[in-house]
Amino acid sequence: MENTAHIHVFKTNIQSEVDKVAIRDLLDSHHQIEKWNVDYEDIDCVLRIVSPSIAPQEIIQLITSNGYHCQELD
Amino acid sequence: MRVRDEQKESAIREKAMEMIVAEGFDGLSMQKLARAANVSPATIYIYYKNREDLLNSLYNMVNHTFAEVALDKFSPELILEEGLWVQWKNRMKFILEYPVYFQFFEQFRNSPLIHHEDVKSSEFKENMIAFVRNAIKRGEMKKMEPEIFWSLAFGTFYSLLKFHVQGKSMMTDNYKVTDAKMKALLQMVIKALKPE
Repeated sequence: MENTAHIHVFKTNIQSEVDKVAIRDLLDSHHQIEKWNVDYEDIDCVLRIVSPSIAPQEIIQLITSNGYHCQELD
Repeated sequence: MRVRDEQKESAIREKAMEMIVAEGFDGLSMQKLARAANVSPATIYIYYKNREDLLNSLYNMVNHTFAEVALDKFSPELILEEGLWVQWKNRMKFILEYPVYFQFFEQFRNSPLIHHEDVKSSEFKENMIAFVRNAIKRGEMKKMEPEIFWSLAFGTFYSLLKFHVQGKSMMTDNYKVTDAKMKALLQMVIKALKPE
């Protein structure tokens, strides 16, 4: 089981495979990100990131600078 | 920082199952579930990657509980009649004590979700296979297709129990199963399974 402190969840508008392709390389190549996935079936298109070191703000910046909406889900 | 909370986790699981049993798989959304379990959607995503992951882990948990209940006092070495009796009593216990689990179990197994790679098969199946092999080796039952065996050995029992759970049958509005009735049915099943 993953360490819950390492999991970050965000509300996004990454709605389809096409959108996912746009951010895939970004997240795949980020050395601090262990795992990530997007739940399209959810209305919040939740982006879930597993990383022991990255700050949520960095992820938000990464996603928004690529033209997508991203905010921490509470 | 969020910490793992067993109570929240079990509230999520129980509510998810109740929602699925009441409204089907399509009736489950993370938002609705969060409201019902009184947690935030973010909390659910801490424990589960997505909806599919949640459904698979629910099934694995229910399957584990089923195996635990069904294998209690059971051994593949038991003689056919005794082993089937233990199985019937244990499965009855599962259905009566965990009605929501049982309904979820049935729904899941009748859906395409059952073919997902994350769905684990349990030690339960191996135990049942060994039990049947031993019974054939000892000459207590004839060789037959597993589906035919299941229909005789368990289909009969589940049909009888269904009358009990619904509390009525085609003949009466007040049907109750007893050990004596189950034993009588078991005798007929044993007879049908015997080699000629």
